[in-house]
Amino acid sequence: MNAEGFLFLFAVVMAAVLLFSMVFFIIMFSDLECDYINPIDLCNKLNQFVLPEHLAHGFLFLMFLVNGSWMALLINTPLAAWHVNKIMNNRHMYDATEIFRTLPQHKKESFIKLGFYLLCFFYYLYRMILGLLQEKW
Amino acid sequence: MRSRRVYSRYFSLRQSSVAQSPYANSDPKYKRCTINAIPQTTALLNKCKIPFGLLITPYRHLLAGEEPVPVINPPQIVRCRRCRTYINPWVQFVEQDTRWKCNLCFLTNEVPTFFDWDPETRAHVDRRRRPELTHATVEFVAPQEYMVRPPQPVVFLFVIDVSYSAVQSGMLATAARTILDTLDAIPNADNRTKIGFITVDSTLHFYNLNPNLTEPQMLVVSDLDETFLPMPYDLLVTLSESREVIDKLMERIGDMFKNTQIVQSVLGRALQAAHKMIHAIGGKIIVLQSTLPNQNEGALKAREDPKLLGTPKEVTLLQPQTGFYKNFAVSCSPTQVSIDIFLFSPQYADVATLSGCAKFTGGSVYYYPAFNASRPEDALKFANEFSHFLSRPIGLEAVMRVRASKGIRMTAFHGNFFLRSTDLLSLPNVSPDNSYAVEMTLVENLTTSLACFQTALLHTSSNGERRIRVLTLAIPVTSNLGDVFASADQFALAAILSKKAVERALTSKIEDARDALTYKLNEIMGAYKSSFTTSGQSVQLLLPDNLKLLPLLTLGMLKNIAFRQASTIPSDLRSFVMAILYVFPPELCVVQCHPRFWSIHNLAPQIGLPGQDGQITFPPLLNLCSDKLDRTGIFLLENGVEIFIWVGRAASPDLVKMLFDKPNYDQIVAGKTTLPTLQNDYSSRINNLIGKIREVRIQMATCYPHLYVVKEDGDPALRMWFLTQLIEDRMDAMPSYPQFLGVLREQMGKISAA
Repeated sequence: MNAEGFLFLFAVVMAAVLLFSMVFFIIMFSDLECDYINPIDLCNKLNQFVLPEHLAHGFLFLMFLVNGSWMALLINTPLAAWHVNKIMNNRHMYDATEIFRTLPQHKKESFIKLGFYLLCFFYYLYRMILGLLQEKW
Repeated sequence: MRSRRVYSRYFSLRQSSVAQSPYANSDPKYKRCTINAIPQTTALLNKCKIPFGLLITPYRHLLAGEEPVPVINPPQIVRCRRCRTYINPWVQFVEQDTRWKCNLCFLTNEVPTFFDWDPETRAHVDRRRRPELTHATVEFVAPQEYMVRPPQPVVFLFVIDVSYSAVQSGMLATAARTILDTLDAIPNADNRTKIGFITVDSTLHFYNLNPNLTEPQMLVVSDLDETFLPMPYDLLVTLSESREVIDKLMERIGDMFKNTQIVQSVLGRALQAAHKMIHAIGGKIIVLQSTLPNQNEGALKAREDPKLLGTPKEVTLLQPQTGFYKNFAVSCSPTQVSIDIFLFSPQYADVATLSGCAKFTGGSVYYYPAFNASRPEDALKFANEFSHFLSRPIGLEAVMRVRASKGIRMTAFHGNFFLRSTDLLSLPNVSPDNSYAVEMTLVENLTTSLACFQTALLHTSSNGERRIRVLTLAIPVTSNLGDVFASADQFALAAILSKKAVERALTSKIEDARDALTYKLNEIMGAYKSSFTTSGQSVQLLLPDNLKLLPLLTLGMLKNIAFRQASTIPSDLRSFVMAILYVFPPELCVVQCHPRFWSIHNLAPQIGLPGQDGQITFPPLLNLCSDKLDRTGIFLLENGVEIFIWVGRAASPDLVKMLFDKPNYDQIVAGKTTLPTLQNDYSSRINNLIGKIREVRIQMATCYPHLYVVKEDGDPALRMWFLTQLIEDRMDAMPSYPQFLGVLREQMGKISAA
């Protein structure tokens, strides 16, 4: 198996993990809306996952860069920039005192990211298969 | 205050409440809505542009002559099965009065038998006499189901700064004296009240107050790497048992630190220790801080930068510089710990950052810039406020929920609390001073003729009982836009707009807050104009009578210290005024933005004396413009937190003599003063007026206003300060009232009439 195949195999797994993390975020947000969880617990829980999520995505981004997968890199650039921007402005953590005011935004963001990871997942899968097929030829 | 039309509407409303009682609808002092005829459809609400909101002051301190809230102890608390609404005067009895129909969700519920039958006396009782059906504001004694634990005792934990500036300014001594004098008045009905002390400089000092000790024992903790209590018990003691030891500590504490040279403060660590001490019970942490916390956790920088003032960057000074205090407050909230802060800094105090502690725990902020206890006025103000603060009844471990008729939804809340779920406010302590604003919207069209709003405040009262205070407000629904405008409450509107503006200023820029205020005014007036005028009237500014003051109130807000365009307002002061506007009840928001102004050199005979209702009679109010100032006159002005007496250069020497006990105008000392109480009619009447203002302010907002004497040709800074209160005048870049109206008229001219 060649490097590209390996890289995209890894990317598929990562995309799946990120996908699940987004589903988890969305479930937590709807729990908050239904009053199953209080905002302090919610924020404590979610904030543990924010940086790992950003790091995972950043790592994947870096791998594409190292490998020179320009197309994949291009697709991921906007989200990576968005994450960096949030961290620079110190807006990446969820704030328990503001959460109800910002909840619609958070939900929207999570849904968009969910969709994005889903698309990426299939793209990586396609590239992985492509990579594996190339090797056989 | 309200137009006659709305009153008559209330009157006709009363007939439709079950008991037809005069108390069936909420007193506007407890709860008022910005509009008193709710639009039936979302389209109508959007068309009128008037913000739809409630202002609730659930736990307000009763003023002289007011009826207390009826307390009832029914065998069972009657609530709607579905929406959990408490039974109230606006429900309907149906099916031969055997069931009641909820006025919020319209479900029918069974009426319990004790409503008609008293099992103890074995007699029939009239349900229409029950307080929950006759009064809009009632307090239920809550049974076991409403408790997650036995009601907590009142807990006061003092965290007192004992650094150099706290001792030198006399804050420590005044505070100790006041605590000592107030110990008897602290709520302690069931002898369970607990008290503790921590003093802070570069180390933490705890006090062992075991009742068996003859002397309090001080325990110094200088290892501050982690939060640590030197002993597990006896730091927080029952007031009644350890009274003597506490008395001794308070008598001595001033001397203990009198030679201190320490200028550091580790407030952050002290707060964590304080929280550790009371987190199992909950209660109040009372912080008295004079030095800027500058070491260890939560250290702050003196970041005041005069170059930023008046620029768009100014807002960075109004936002917290660290998240520590806010995060700390968030961790206090679930443990029912509330924090109140008294700040005395001679220099920068960072009100913006430290007030975060109070904001999210239902507490309050008190600010005494350049406090110096050797000035009797400063000491008196602090002692009065602190003493009222300690002795007033408070609610503990509370939650507040606002419910409204089907179709109405809450969208935002303003005030000092932590929002625990979409409509549940968590209030570790309920301060009687704090008011809460709720913004609402219509999500579907209303089908009934009455819209109801019910606020329930579940709390532990300071006598150790679990209670639910229920406030119900009923407002008719209308399909007529004219009714909506004619019933709008301009004072409630001004209050809610000012609270929204504070939030806007802090999240974006002060300029944006000002723009939002003007924009809203334009929008409301534009909506009125385009709906109710014909093209011929387009040159005039038209508003219904009950909204006539809205432009003036808006101008007052634009010129208020909180929002004014100026480069000379210290950020501490601006932060403080924003913090108080955010929690003030509507009456005080209005007075803060539009001060009350009287001439007092030409008093009519009954002014300053108790009238027929026993209340002091005030002179007629004057417009807030300097044309009214007369060089032969003496004027009184009050804005809720300060009182000014302006003396004209040619003021009558007789009056000057009678009021100030000085032979002529030149001898009067300008500035912060206390008026002498002299044996003459004039002096006693003016003192009555000032006394009355102070009495009401201390009860409404725990504020004892300073009195400033301003001389016509005196200290320019003081004179300027006084003149900025006259909001109808031009002020630097800010327009005068006629100019403001001119601009408004121009803008309205662009809107074509319908």
